Amino acid sequence: MKILLQLFLSFALIGIGAYGGGLVAIPLIQHEIVFKQQWLSFGEMSQLLAVAQMTPGPIAINAATFVGFRFGGIIGSAVATLAVVLPSITILVLVAPLVDFASKNAHVRHLRQGLQIGVLSLILFATWSFGSGAVTGWRDLAMAAAAFAVLVAFEGKLHPVIVILASGFLGMIVL
Amino acid sequence: MKNNITSTEHEEKEQDGIKHNVPLFGIFWTFFRIGLFTFGGGLAMTTVMRHELVLKRRWIKEESFLAELSTATLVPGAIAVNMAYLQGRRLRGTAGAMAAIFGTILPSFVIILLIAWIALPYFAKPKVTAFLRGCAIAVVGQLAFAGLVFARKLLRSWRNAIVCIAGLIVVAVFKMHPVWAMIAAGGMGYLLCNQSAAEQNEKDQS
Repeated sequence: MKILLQLFLSFALIGIGAYGGGLVAIPLIQHEIVFKQQWLSFGEMSQLLAVAQMTPGPIAINAATFVGFRFGGIIGSAVATLAVVLPSITILVLVAPLVDFASKNAHVRHLRQGLQIGVLSLILFATWSFGSGAVTGWRDLAMAAAAFAVLVAFEGKLHPVIVILASGFLGMIVL
Repeated sequence: MKNNITSTEHEEKEQDGIKHNVPLFGIFWTFFRIGLFTFGGGLAMTTVMRHELVLKRRWIKEESFLAELSTATLVPGAIAVNMAYLQGRRLRGTAGAMAAIFGTILPSFVIILLIAWIALPYFAKPKVTAFLRGCAIAVVGQLAFAGLVFARKLLRSWRNAIVCIAGLIVVAVFKMHPVWAMIAAGGMGYLLCNQSAAEQNEKDQS
């Protein structure tokens, strides 16, 4: 019971702090799970992160399910996963109606234009930071460029997941 | 509070003329697919989400998608989950939001459970690593594609480009927390970008 409560509190904290996408959440998850709670060793954490990046879903949720399962079985994984999303849901329940209301204001709409450009900045940065980890040579770069070209050429006609899986099979052959 | 929500929803329905009355299971199923097909987490998922919600199902227009993405990025927590909440809520209120979040989380929950339980040793096999590495490389292309899609919409003037570069400098050069990039871009956009142009943009959207 005590471990369930600990899992809940730790991952709720990660849920509040995990802001701006998975890449930002990683140091926070590391701090909480490896240094503070010592649930995983540094090596286990790296393995978890590798698995989390290659499996679908947000990294914070993957980490919660994984650590929760190891220390509290199925119930532990459910508790930890719920704890990660609960803070965002609570905030959204409160904030979403306000956003609807504020969007009618011309100044807010004007501000929103800048915020959207901010998201674009973050996406460009994520391309760079995720790319510098995943792409390690010319062959990788060519594969990433090919994936990009196919996505542009068949926009709306081809499901992006097909490109990802095709690249995976190509990886089995050439990497 | 409840009344307030339904009234705004009602107005939105009148505004955008997009498909509504989506069944709850349809919401769950779409977000289940998004959750299943989202590698790389966070912003990489925008490509899959846009494909499913904007291009395929036509539940939302491109411009509203962008606006809601900025809200999802500003709120703490996983962007995919925040986005699921906002989209589900817009389509079917609180029940829709819960269906969307449940759908988004379920695939990763089940997959990680299976991995933690039985499949962890397989991740050391070279063929499996090569496959997963190949997937990760394509995610880079997917992120670049998301960048292109949004740049096409947003970088219509040199002022917007300056705001975008400023946001990039905040995270890439100063290595500050992404929230500062959002704040800097929001503030600079407000000061620099033409208000009437922004209004025009809004009009195009509705």
